[in-house]
Amino acid sequence: MKLLNGRRINTLLTITGYLFIWGPIIVLGVFSFNSSAYGVKWESLTLKWYVDLFHTPAIIKAVLRSLLIASVTTVFATVIGTLAGYGLYKYKFYGRRVLRMSILLPITVPYVIMAGALLVYFTRIAHIPLGYPAIIIAHISFSAPLAVFVNLGRMQRINWSLEEASVDLGANTFTTWRKVTIPLLLPSIFASAVLIFPWSFNDFTVTYFVAGVGTTTLPLYLFSMLEYSLKPVLINAISLIFIILPIILVLLVYSYKGKSKQTA
Amino acid sequence: MAAHKLGMKIKANLHLLPTVGPVSIWILLFIFAPVAVIVCISFLASGQAGEILPKFSIENYRHLLFGGSEYGSAVLRSIFYAFVTNMVCLCVGFPMAYWISKYGGKFKALFLFLVIVPSWSCYIVRIYALKQLVGYPGILNNFLLNLGFISSPINILYTPAAVVLGLIYIWLPFMVLPIYASIEGINPALLEASLDLGATPRWQFLTVTLPLTKGGIFGGTILTFIPALGDWLVPLLIGGNRVWMAGNLIEHFLVVRGKIAMASSMAVILTAAVVLLIYMFIKLGGEESMERIV
Repeated sequence: MKLLNGRRINTLLTITGYLFIWGPIIVLGVFSFNSSAYGVKWESLTLKWYVDLFHTPAIIKAVLRSLLIASVTTVFATVIGTLAGYGLYKYKFYGRRVLRMSILLPITVPYVIMAGALLVYFTRIAHIPLGYPAIIIAHISFSAPLAVFVNLGRMQRINWSLEEASVDLGANTFTTWRKVTIPLLLPSIFASAVLIFPWSFNDFTVTYFVAGVGTTTLPLYLFSMLEYSLKPVLINAISLIFIILPIILVLLVYSYKGKSKQTA
Repeated sequence: MAAHKLGMKIKANLHLLPTVGPVSIWILLFIFAPVAVIVCISFLASGQAGEILPKFSIENYRHLLFGGSEYGSAVLRSIFYAFVTNMVCLCVGFPMAYWISKYGGKFKALFLFLVIVPSWSCYIVRIYALKQLVGYPGILNNFLLNLGFISSPINILYTPAAVVLGLIYIWLPFMVLPIYASIEGINPALLEASLDLGATPRWQFLTVTLPLTKGGIFGGTILTFIPALGDWLVPLLIGGNRVWMAGNLIEHFLVVRGKIAMASSMAVILTAAVVLLIYMFIKLGGEESMERIV
Protein backbone atom coordinates (compact mmCIF):
# COMPACT_ATOMS: atom_id res chain seq x y z
CA MET A 1 0.00 0.00 0.00
CA LYS A 2 2.85 2.32 0.89
CA LEU A 3 4.57 1.54 -2.39
CA LEU A 4 1.41 2.29 -4.31
CA ASN A 5 1.17 5.62 -2.52
CA GLY A 6 4.76 6.51 -3.32
CA ARG A 7 4.27 5.57 -6.93
CA ARG A 8 1.04 7.52 -7.15
CA ILE A 9 2.62 10.67 -5.76
CA ASN A 10 5.52 10.18 -8.14
CA THR A 11 3.24 9.87 -11.16
CA LEU A 12 1.13 12.81 -10.03
CA LEU A 13 4.16 15.08 -9.65
CA THR A 14 5.46 13.96 -13.03
CA ILE A 15 2.18 14.78 -14.72
CA THR A 16 2.13 18.17 -12.96
CA GLY A 17 5.66 18.84 -14.21
CA TYR A 18 4.80 18.02 -17.81
CA LEU A 19 1.59 20.04 -17.66
CA PHE A 20 3.51 22.98 -16.24
CA ILE A 21 6.21 22.77 -18.92
CA TRP A 22 3.85 22.30 -21.86
CA GLY A 23 0.62 23.98 -20.77
CA PRO A 24 1.53 27.59 -21.51
CA ILE A 25 3.16 26.69 -24.83
CA ILE A 26 0.21 24.61 -26.04
CA VAL A 27 -2.29 27.31 -25.05
CA LEU A 28 -0.17 29.92 -26.81
CA GLY A 29 -0.02 27.76 -29.93
CA VAL A 30 -3.79 27.20 -29.93
CA PHE A 31 -4.49 30.90 -29.47
CA SER A 32 -2.27 31.78 -32.43
CA PHE A 33 -5.19 30.49 -34.53
CA ASN A 34 -7.63 32.78 -32.73
CA SER A 35 -9.20 35.55 -34.79
CA SER A 36 -9.54 38.03 -31.90
CA ALA A 37 -6.61 40.45 -32.07
CA TYR A 38 -6.24 41.14 -28.36
CA GLY A 39 -7.32 37.71 -27.63
CA VAL A 40 -7.68 36.14 -24.30
CA LYS A 41 -11.15 35.13 -25.45
CA TRP A 42 -11.61 32.51 -28.14
CA GLU A 43 -13.50 33.79 -31.21
CA SER A 44 -12.96 31.74 -34.33
CA LEU A 45 -10.31 29.79 -36.17
CA THR A 46 -8.08 31.77 -38.49
CA LEU A 47 -4.71 31.62 -40.21
CA LYS A 48 -4.55 35.34 -40.85
CA TRP A 49 -1.80 35.97 -38.26
CA TYR A 50 0.47 33.56 -40.08
CA VAL A 51 -0.26 35.32 -43.35
CA ASP A 52 0.40 38.65 -41.63
CA LEU A 53 3.72 37.34 -40.42
CA PHE A 54 4.97 36.93 -43.98
CA HIS A 55 3.73 40.37 -44.92
CA THR A 56 5.63 42.18 -42.17
CA PRO A 57 9.02 43.12 -43.66
CA ALA A 58 10.50 43.93 -40.23
CA ILE A 59 9.88 40.36 -39.08
CA ILE A 60 11.30 38.83 -42.24
CA LYS A 61 14.42 40.98 -41.89
CA ALA A 62 14.78 40.06 -38.22
CA VAL A 63 14.51 36.37 -39.07
CA LEU A 64 17.14 36.70 -41.80
CA ARG A 65 19.51 38.53 -39.43
CA SER A 66 19.05 35.85 -36.78
CA LEU A 67 19.62 33.10 -39.33
CA LEU A 68 22.81 34.77 -40.58
CA ILE A 69 24.22 35.22 -37.07
CA ALA A 70 23.26 31.69 -36.01
CA SER A 71 24.80 30.14 -39.15
CA VAL A 72 28.15 31.92 -38.82
CA THR A 73 28.28 31.23 -35.09
CA THR A 74 27.43 27.55 -35.55
CA VAL A 75 30.15 26.96 -38.16
CA PHE A 76 32.92 28.76 -36.24
CA ALA A 77 32.00 27.54 -32.77
CA THR A 78 31.57 23.93 -33.90
CA VAL A 79 34.93 23.89 -35.71
CA ILE A 80 37.04 25.43 -32.94
CA GLY A 81 35.09 23.59 -30.24
CA THR A 82 35.62 20.22 -31.91
CA LEU A 83 39.34 20.90 -32.37
CA ALA A 84 39.68 21.91 -28.73
CA GLY A 85 37.75 18.84 -27.59
CA TYR A 86 40.16 16.67 -29.57
CA GLY A 87 43.21 18.40 -28.09
CA LEU A 88 41.83 18.18 -24.57
CA TYR A 89 41.08 14.49 -24.97
CA LYS A 90 44.24 13.37 -26.78
CA TYR A 91 47.07 15.37 -25.31
CA LYS A 92 48.24 15.56 -21.73
CA PHE A 93 49.64 19.02 -21.25
CA TYR A 94 50.31 21.46 -18.49
CA GLY A 95 47.22 23.59 -17.82
CA ARG A 96 44.79 21.04 -19.27
CA ARG A 97 42.63 21.03 -16.15
CA VAL A 98 42.72 24.83 -15.98
CA LEU A 99 41.63 25.08 -19.60
CA ARG A 100 38.77 22.63 -19.02
CA MET A 101 37.58 24.64 -16.06
CA SER A 102 37.91 27.98 -17.81
CA ILE A 103 35.82 26.76 -20.74
CA LEU A 104 33.07 26.26 -18.16
CA LEU A 105 33.31 29.90 -17.07
CA PRO A 106 31.05 31.48 -19.71
CA ILE A 107 28.39 28.88 -18.97
CA THR A 108 28.42 29.38 -15.19
CA VAL A 109 28.74 33.15 -14.77
CA PRO A 110 25.30 34.82 -15.18
CA TYR A 111 24.66 35.92 -18.75
CA VAL A 112 23.82 39.45 -17.73
CA ILE A 113 27.31 39.87 -16.24
CA MET A 114 29.22 38.27 -19.11
CA ALA A 115 27.17 40.25 -21.62
CA GLY A 116 27.71 43.50 -19.74
CA ALA A 117 31.44 42.80 -19.50
CA LEU A 118 31.58 42.18 -23.24
CA LEU A 119 29.73 45.43 -23.92
CA VAL A 120 32.21 47.44 -21.85
CA TYR A 121 35.14 45.55 -23.39
CA PHE A 122 33.95 46.01 -26.97
CA THR A 123 33.19 49.71 -26.65
CA ARG A 124 35.98 50.86 -24.30
CA ILE A 125 38.95 48.55 -24.90
CA ALA A 126 38.80 46.45 -28.06
CA HIS A 127 36.84 48.93 -30.20
CA ILE A 128 34.92 46.22 -31.95
CA PRO A 129 31.86 47.77 -33.61
CA LEU A 130 28.55 46.79 -32.04
CA GLY A 131 26.23 44.94 -34.38
CA TYR A 132 27.13 41.83 -36.38
CA PRO A 133 30.85 41.59 -35.45
CA ALA A 134 30.19 42.02 -31.73
CA ILE A 135 27.19 39.68 -31.70
CA ILE A 136 28.97 36.93 -33.60
CA ILE A 137 32.14 37.17 -31.49
CA ALA A 138 30.08 37.05 -28.30
CA HIS A 139 27.98 34.12 -29.52
CA ILE A 140 31.08 32.13 -30.42
CA SER A 141 32.55 32.66 -26.93
CA PHE A 142 29.39 31.29 -25.37
CA SER A 143 28.76 28.39 -27.71
CA ALA A 144 32.24 27.01 -28.46
CA PRO A 145 32.35 25.50 -24.93
CA LEU A 146 29.14 23.57 -25.73
CA ALA A 147 30.85 22.01 -28.74
CA VAL A 148 33.93 21.17 -26.65
CA PHE A 149 31.90 19.25 -24.07
CA VAL A 150 29.59 17.50 -26.52
CA ASN A 151 32.63 16.25 -28.44
CA LEU A 152 34.52 15.26 -25.27
CA GLY A 153 31.52 13.13 -24.31
CA ARG A 154 31.60 11.32 -27.64
CA MET A 155 35.37 10.86 -27.60
CA GLN A 156 35.15 8.82 -24.40
CA ARG A 157 33.05 6.27 -26.25
CA ILE A 158 34.64 5.85 -29.66
CA ASN A 159 37.14 3.23 -30.72
CA TRP A 160 40.47 5.01 -31.05
CA SER A 161 42.31 1.94 -32.38
CA LEU A 162 40.85 2.82 -35.78
CA GLU A 163 42.89 6.02 -35.74
CA GLU A 164 46.04 4.13 -34.70
CA ALA A 165 45.42 1.57 -37.44
CA SER A 166 45.22 4.37 -39.99
CA VAL A 167 48.60 5.73 -38.84
CA ASP A 168 50.12 2.24 -38.80
CA LEU A 169 48.97 1.69 -42.36
CA GLY A 170 50.92 4.76 -43.43
CA ALA A 171 48.35 7.56 -43.57
CA ASN A 172 49.64 10.98 -42.57
CA THR A 173 47.99 13.09 -39.89
CA PHE A 174 45.83 15.02 -42.29
CA THR A 175 44.53 11.94 -44.10
CA THR A 176 43.85 10.22 -40.79
CA TRP A 177 41.82 13.20 -39.68
CA ARG A 178 39.90 13.40 -42.91
CA LYS A 179 39.23 9.70 -43.41
CA VAL A 180 38.99 8.37 -39.86
CA THR A 181 38.75 10.93 -37.05
CA ILE A 182 36.18 13.28 -38.54
CA PRO A 183 33.84 10.49 -39.67
CA LEU A 184 34.10 8.98 -36.18
CA LEU A 185 33.26 12.33 -34.59
CA LEU A 186 30.55 13.25 -37.07
CA PRO A 187 27.63 12.46 -34.73
CA SER A 188 28.97 14.72 -31.98
CA ILE A 189 29.98 17.44 -34.45
CA PHE A 190 26.44 17.33 -35.74
CA ALA A 191 24.99 17.27 -32.23
CA SER A 192 27.01 20.36 -31.25
CA ALA A 193 25.78 22.21 -34.31
CA VAL A 194 22.20 21.25 -33.46
CA LEU A 195 22.68 22.59 -29.92
CA ILE A 196 24.49 25.76 -30.94
CA PHE A 197 22.25 26.87 -33.79
CA PRO A 198 19.06 27.26 -31.72
CA TRP A 199 21.07 28.71 -28.84
CA SER A 200 22.42 31.46 -31.05
CA PHE A 201 19.13 31.95 -32.87
CA ASN A 202 17.19 32.29 -29.62
CA ASP A 203 19.69 34.19 -27.50
CA PHE A 204 18.34 37.41 -26.09
CA THR A 205 20.54 38.66 -23.25
CA VAL A 206 23.93 38.58 -24.95
CA THR A 207 22.56 39.97 -28.21
CA TYR A 208 20.64 42.70 -26.39
CA PHE A 209 23.81 44.03 -24.80
CA VAL A 210 26.11 44.02 -27.82
CA ALA A 211 23.68 44.59 -30.70
CA GLY A 212 23.95 48.38 -30.74
CA VAL A 213 21.42 50.14 -32.93
CA GLY A 214 19.87 48.58 -36.02
CA THR A 215 20.85 44.93 -35.70
CA THR A 216 17.47 43.75 -34.47
CA THR A 217 17.44 39.98 -34.34
CA LEU A 218 14.19 38.07 -33.98
CA PRO A 219 14.33 37.77 -30.15
CA LEU A 220 15.11 41.51 -29.90
CA TYR A 221 12.19 42.26 -32.20
CA LEU A 222 9.90 40.06 -30.11
CA PHE A 223 11.07 41.87 -26.98
CA SER A 224 10.24 45.26 -28.44
CA MET A 225 6.85 43.96 -29.58
CA LEU A 226 6.14 42.81 -26.03
CA GLU A 227 7.35 46.03 -24.46
CA TYR A 228 5.12 48.18 -26.63
CA SER A 229 2.35 45.56 -26.82
CA LEU A 230 2.16 45.65 -30.60
CA LYS A 231 -0.15 43.05 -32.09
CA PRO A 232 0.13 40.42 -29.36
CA VAL A 233 -1.48 37.79 -31.54
CA LEU A 234 1.34 38.07 -34.08
CA ILE A 235 3.68 37.10 -31.26
CA ASN A 236 1.66 33.93 -30.74
CA ALA A 237 2.22 33.00 -34.35
CA ILE A 238 5.97 33.67 -34.15
CA SER A 239 6.12 31.68 -30.92
CA LEU A 240 4.71 28.59 -32.52
CA ILE A 241 7.46 28.80 -35.12
CA PHE A 242 10.02 29.07 -32.32
CA ILE A 243 8.69 25.88 -30.77
CA ILE A 244 8.49 24.00 -34.04
CA LEU A 245 12.02 24.89 -35.21
CA PRO A 246 13.88 22.90 -32.52
CA ILE A 247 11.50 19.95 -32.93
CA ILE A 248 12.31 19.83 -36.65
CA LEU A 249 16.03 20.02 -35.84
CA VAL A 250 15.80 17.13 -33.40
CA LEU A 251 13.79 15.03 -35.83
CA LEU A 252 16.51 15.69 -38.40
CA VAL A 253 19.12 14.40 -35.95
CA TYR A 254 17.05 11.30 -35.22
CA SER A 255 16.59 10.49 -38.89
CA TYR A 256 20.30 11.09 -39.42
CA LYS A 257 21.18 8.75 -36.54
CA GLY A 258 18.78 6.16 -37.90
CA LYS A 259 20.44 6.33 -41.29
CA SER A 260 23.96 6.04 -39.91
CA LYS A 261 22.87 2.96 -37.97
CA GLN A 262 21.47 1.39 -41.10
CA THR A 263 24.65 1.94 -43.07
CA ALA A 264 26.91 0.73 -40.27
CA MET B 1 50.26 35.18 -16.09
CA ALA B 2 48.07 32.35 -17.34
CA ALA B 3 48.34 33.85 -20.80
CA HIS B 4 52.12 33.87 -20.66
CA LYS B 5 52.32 30.28 -19.48
CA LEU B 6 49.86 29.19 -22.12
CA GLY B 7 51.92 30.93 -24.79
CA MET B 8 55.10 29.13 -23.72
CA LYS B 9 53.37 25.80 -23.67
CA ILE B 10 52.02 26.31 -27.15
CA LYS B 11 55.56 26.86 -28.38
CA ALA B 12 56.68 23.69 -26.61
CA ASN B 13 53.85 21.51 -27.87
CA LEU B 14 53.23 22.35 -31.48
CA HIS B 15 50.40 19.86 -31.90
CA LEU B 16 48.39 21.83 -29.35
CA LEU B 17 48.38 24.94 -31.51
CA PRO B 18 45.82 23.84 -34.11
CA THR B 19 43.66 21.93 -31.61
CA VAL B 20 43.19 23.70 -28.28
CA GLY B 21 44.83 26.88 -29.60
CA PRO B 22 41.87 28.69 -31.18
CA VAL B 23 39.50 28.15 -28.27
CA SER B 24 42.17 29.12 -25.71
CA ILE B 25 42.89 32.34 -27.53
CA TRP B 26 39.20 33.03 -27.99
CA ILE B 27 38.39 32.41 -24.32
CA LEU B 28 41.36 34.54 -23.29
CA LEU B 29 40.43 37.44 -25.54
CA PHE B 30 36.66 37.42 -25.22
CA ILE B 31 35.94 35.89 -21.81
CA PHE B 32 38.91 36.47 -19.51
CA ALA B 33 39.90 39.89 -20.82
CA PRO B 34 36.37 41.36 -20.47
CA VAL B 35 36.05 39.92 -16.96
CA ALA B 36 39.48 41.34 -16.04
CA VAL B 37 38.46 44.74 -17.42
CA ILE B 38 35.28 44.71 -15.35
CA VAL B 39 37.22 43.79 -12.21
CA CYS B 40 39.70 46.64 -12.85
CA ILE B 41 36.97 49.18 -13.56
CA SER B 42 35.13 48.18 -10.40
CA PHE B 43 38.08 49.59 -8.41
CA LEU B 44 38.01 52.97 -10.15
CA ALA B 45 36.24 56.05 -8.91
CA SER B 46 33.15 57.41 -10.66
CA GLY B 47 32.59 61.07 -11.44
CA GLN B 48 29.43 63.10 -10.94
CA ALA B 49 27.74 61.87 -14.10
CA GLY B 50 28.91 58.30 -13.59
CA GLU B 51 31.94 58.56 -15.88
CA ILE B 52 35.02 56.55 -14.94
CA LEU B 53 37.89 58.47 -13.32
CA PRO B 54 41.41 56.97 -13.57
CA LYS B 55 41.81 56.82 -9.80
CA PHE B 56 41.87 53.79 -7.50
CA SER B 57 38.94 53.71 -5.14
CA ILE B 58 36.93 51.20 -3.14
CA GLU B 59 34.14 53.70 -2.77
CA ASN B 60 31.85 51.66 -5.09
CA TYR B 61 32.18 48.60 -2.90
CA ARG B 62 31.80 50.60 0.30
CA HIS B 63 28.64 52.17 -1.06
CA LEU B 64 27.18 48.86 -2.28
CA LEU B 65 28.02 46.81 0.79
CA PHE B 66 27.70 49.24 3.69
CA GLY B 67 26.21 52.41 2.25
CA GLY B 68 22.62 51.31 2.62
CA SER B 69 22.37 50.77 -1.15
CA GLU B 70 19.39 48.92 -2.57
CA TYR B 71 21.81 46.49 -4.21
CA GLY B 72 22.53 44.51 -1.05
CA SER B 73 18.87 43.75 -0.53
CA ALA B 74 18.48 42.97 -4.25
CA VAL B 75 21.26 40.36 -4.01
CA LEU B 76 19.72 38.81 -0.90
CA ARG B 77 16.32 38.81 -2.57
CA SER B 78 17.81 37.16 -5.67
CA ILE B 79 19.43 34.47 -3.54
CA PHE B 80 16.11 33.84 -1.78
CA TYR B 81 14.17 33.62 -5.07
CA ALA B 82 16.83 31.34 -6.54
CA PHE B 83 16.67 29.14 -3.44
CA VAL B 84 12.88 28.78 -3.60
CA THR B 85 13.10 28.14 -7.36
CA ASN B 86 15.73 25.51 -6.80
CA MET B 87 13.76 23.72 -4.08
CA VAL B 88 10.54 23.61 -6.13
CA CYS B 89 12.49 22.44 -9.20
CA LEU B 90 14.04 19.70 -7.08
CA CYS B 91 10.67 18.62 -5.65
CA VAL B 92 9.13 18.37 -9.13
CA GLY B 93 12.25 17.56 -11.15
CA PHE B 94 13.39 14.61 -9.05
CA PRO B 95 10.08 12.72 -9.33
CA MET B 96 10.02 13.45 -13.06
CA ALA B 97 13.54 12.08 -13.56
CA TYR B 98 12.80 9.10 -11.33
CA TRP B 99 9.55 8.35 -13.10
CA ILE B 100 11.12 8.54 -16.56
CA SER B 101 13.96 6.29 -15.51
CA LYS B 102 11.76 3.77 -13.71
CA TYR B 103 8.52 3.66 -15.69
CA GLY B 104 9.61 5.19 -18.99
CA GLY B 105 10.26 1.82 -20.60
CA LYS B 106 11.11 2.11 -24.25
CA PHE B 107 9.74 5.67 -24.35
CA LYS B 108 12.44 7.05 -22.04
CA ALA B 109 14.04 9.02 -24.87
CA LEU B 110 10.68 10.48 -25.85
CA PHE B 111 9.83 11.53 -22.28
CA LEU B 112 13.25 13.18 -21.88
CA PHE B 113 12.84 14.85 -25.25
CA LEU B 114 9.53 16.28 -24.05
CA VAL B 115 11.30 17.81 -21.06
CA ILE B 116 14.11 19.35 -23.11
CA VAL B 117 12.32 20.68 -26.18
CA PRO B 118 10.65 23.71 -24.57
CA SER B 119 14.00 24.82 -23.13
CA TRP B 120 15.35 25.00 -26.67
CA SER B 121 12.81 27.54 -27.73
CA CYS B 122 13.22 31.25 -27.21
CA TYR B 123 13.41 32.36 -23.62
CA ILE B 124 11.25 35.41 -24.28
CA VAL B 125 8.60 33.33 -25.97
CA ARG B 126 8.39 31.02 -22.97
CA ILE B 127 8.04 33.87 -20.49
CA TYR B 128 5.43 35.45 -22.74
CA ALA B 129 3.52 32.16 -22.93
CA LEU B 130 3.41 31.91 -19.15
CA LYS B 131 2.42 35.56 -18.82
CA GLN B 132 -0.36 35.14 -21.36
CA LEU B 133 -1.72 32.14 -19.48
CA VAL B 134 -1.62 33.25 -15.84
CA GLY B 135 -1.72 37.03 -16.19
CA TYR B 136 -4.63 39.41 -16.29
CA PRO B 137 -6.03 39.90 -18.83
CA GLY B 138 -5.09 36.28 -19.31
CA ILE B 139 -6.45 33.04 -20.64
CA LEU B 140 -6.66 31.16 -17.34
CA ASN B 141 -8.34 34.08 -15.57
CA ASN B 142 -10.81 34.46 -18.40
CA PHE B 143 -11.60 30.76 -18.35
CA LEU B 144 -12.12 30.63 -14.58
CA LEU B 145 -14.24 33.80 -14.63
CA ASN B 146 -16.47 32.41 -17.38
CA LEU B 147 -17.00 29.16 -15.55
CA GLY B 148 -17.76 31.05 -12.34
CA PHE B 149 -14.97 29.46 -10.27
CA ILE B 150 -13.75 32.90 -9.30
CA SER B 151 -15.75 36.09 -9.04
CA SER B 152 -12.96 38.59 -9.61
CA PRO B 153 -9.75 38.14 -11.61
CA ILE B 154 -6.68 36.93 -9.74
CA ASN B 155 -3.69 38.97 -10.77
CA ILE B 156 -0.40 37.48 -9.77
CA LEU B 157 1.73 39.42 -12.26
CA TYR B 158 4.19 41.96 -10.83
CA THR B 159 4.49 40.07 -7.56
CA PRO B 160 7.45 38.10 -6.18
CA ALA B 161 5.35 34.92 -6.46
CA ALA B 162 4.97 35.50 -10.21
CA VAL B 163 8.71 36.05 -10.61
CA VAL B 164 9.49 32.81 -8.77
CA LEU B 165 6.87 30.96 -10.85
CA GLY B 166 8.54 32.30 -13.99
CA LEU B 167 11.98 31.23 -12.79
CA ILE B 168 10.70 27.72 -12.01
CA TYR B 169 9.07 27.54 -15.42
CA ILE B 170 12.27 28.50 -17.22
CA TRP B 171 14.77 26.40 -15.27
CA LEU B 172 12.85 23.21 -14.35
CA PRO B 173 14.13 21.18 -17.37
CA PHE B 174 17.72 21.78 -16.29
CA MET B 175 17.05 20.05 -12.98
CA VAL B 176 15.56 16.93 -14.59
CA LEU B 177 18.46 16.07 -16.92
CA PRO B 178 21.38 15.70 -14.48
CA ILE B 179 19.22 13.81 -11.97
CA TYR B 180 18.02 11.47 -14.71
CA ALA B 181 21.61 10.78 -15.78
CA SER B 182 22.49 10.09 -12.15
CA ILE B 183 19.60 7.66 -11.59
CA GLU B 184 20.41 5.83 -14.81
CA GLY B 185 24.00 5.51 -13.64
CA ILE B 186 23.10 3.59 -10.46
CA ASN B 187 24.36 0.04 -10.52
CA PRO B 188 21.19 -2.16 -10.37
CA ALA B 189 23.11 -4.72 -8.29
CA LEU B 190 23.18 -2.23 -5.42
CA LEU B 191 19.40 -1.91 -5.50
CA GLU B 192 18.98 -5.69 -5.55
CA ALA B 193 21.47 -6.07 -2.72
CA SER B 194 19.56 -3.62 -0.54
CA LEU B 195 16.31 -5.53 -1.15
CA ASP B 196 18.04 -8.86 -0.40
CA LEU B 197 19.30 -7.38 2.84
CA GLY B 198 15.72 -6.60 3.81
CA ALA B 199 15.18 -2.96 2.92
CA THR B 200 11.61 -1.86 2.26
CA PRO B 201 11.18 0.08 -1.01
CA ARG B 202 10.89 3.34 0.89
CA TRP B 203 13.96 2.59 2.98
CA GLN B 204 15.81 1.53 -0.16
CA PHE B 205 14.94 4.82 -1.81
CA LEU B 206 16.09 6.86 1.18
CA THR B 207 19.29 4.97 1.92
CA VAL B 208 20.45 3.79 -1.51
CA THR B 209 18.86 5.67 -4.40
CA LEU B 210 18.89 9.15 -2.88
CA PRO B 211 22.52 9.15 -1.68
CA LEU B 212 23.68 7.73 -5.02
CA THR B 213 21.97 10.54 -6.94
CA LYS B 214 23.61 13.25 -4.82
CA GLY B 215 25.87 14.22 -7.72
CA GLY B 216 22.90 14.66 -10.02
CA ILE B 217 20.98 16.66 -7.45
CA PHE B 218 23.81 19.12 -6.90
CA GLY B 219 24.59 19.20 -10.63
CA GLY B 220 20.96 20.14 -11.23
CA THR B 221 21.18 22.67 -8.42
CA ILE B 222 24.12 24.37 -10.12
CA LEU B 223 22.14 24.44 -13.37
CA THR B 224 19.01 25.98 -11.79
CA PHE B 225 20.17 27.97 -8.74
CA ILE B 226 22.96 29.83 -10.52
CA PRO B 227 21.08 30.96 -13.65
CA ALA B 228 18.01 31.82 -11.54
CA LEU B 229 20.23 33.94 -9.30
CA GLY B 230 21.56 35.90 -12.26
CA ASP B 231 18.27 36.13 -14.12
CA TRP B 232 17.01 39.54 -15.17
CA LEU B 233 14.49 38.84 -17.95
CA VAL B 234 11.90 37.07 -15.81
CA PRO B 235 11.75 39.92 -13.28
CA LEU B 236 11.74 42.42 -16.15
CA LEU B 237 8.90 40.81 -18.11
CA ILE B 238 6.85 39.22 -15.32
CA GLY B 239 7.85 41.44 -12.40
CA GLY B 240 7.26 44.53 -14.52
CA ASN B 241 9.90 46.79 -12.97
CA ARG B 242 8.36 46.25 -9.55
CA VAL B 243 10.30 43.21 -8.44
CA TRP B 244 13.98 43.73 -9.16
CA MET B 245 16.69 41.18 -8.88
CA ALA B 246 20.44 41.81 -8.84
CA GLY B 247 20.73 41.34 -12.63
CA ASN B 248 18.16 44.09 -13.25
CA LEU B 249 20.16 46.59 -11.21
CA ILE B 250 23.35 45.70 -13.09
CA GLU B 251 21.62 46.14 -16.44
CA HIS B 252 20.00 49.38 -15.27
CA PHE B 253 23.24 50.96 -14.05
CA LEU B 254 25.19 49.79 -17.09
CA VAL B 255 22.82 50.44 -19.97
CA VAL B 256 20.27 52.99 -18.75
CA ARG B 257 22.31 55.12 -16.35
CA GLY B 258 25.75 54.54 -17.81
CA LYS B 259 27.39 54.20 -14.39
CA ILE B 260 29.92 51.67 -15.57
CA ALA B 261 32.17 51.61 -12.50
CA MET B 262 29.23 51.05 -10.15
CA ALA B 263 27.73 48.39 -12.41
CA SER B 264 31.13 46.65 -12.54
CA SER B 265 31.34 46.53 -8.75
CA MET B 266 27.83 45.07 -8.65
CA ALA B 267 28.82 42.46 -11.22
CA VAL B 268 31.93 41.51 -9.23
CA ILE B 269 29.91 41.11 -6.03
CA LEU B 270 27.30 38.93 -7.77
CA THR B 271 30.01 36.86 -9.48
CA ALA B 272 31.74 36.35 -6.13
CA ALA B 273 28.44 35.10 -4.68
CA VAL B 274 27.99 32.76 -7.66
CA VAL B 275 31.52 31.36 -7.42
CA LEU B 276 31.13 30.80 -3.69
CA LEU B 277 27.82 28.99 -4.19
CA ILE B 278 29.18 26.80 -7.01
CA TYR B 279 32.17 25.90 -4.85
CA MET B 280 29.80 25.00 -2.02
CA PHE B 281 27.57 22.86 -4.26
CA ILE B 282 30.56 21.01 -5.69
CA LYS B 283 31.93 20.39 -2.19
CA LEU B 284 28.54 19.05 -1.10
CA GLY B 285 27.81 17.07 -4.24
CA GLY B 286 31.31 15.79 -5.02
CA GLU B 287 33.09 15.57 -8.37
CA GLU B 288 30.08 13.89 -9.94
CA SER B 289 28.03 17.09 -9.75
CA MET B 290 30.62 18.73 -12.03
CA GLU B 291 30.39 15.91 -14.54
CA ARG B 292 26.63 16.00 -14.58
CA ILE B 293 26.57 19.62 -15.68
CA VAL B 294 28.08 18.94 -19.07
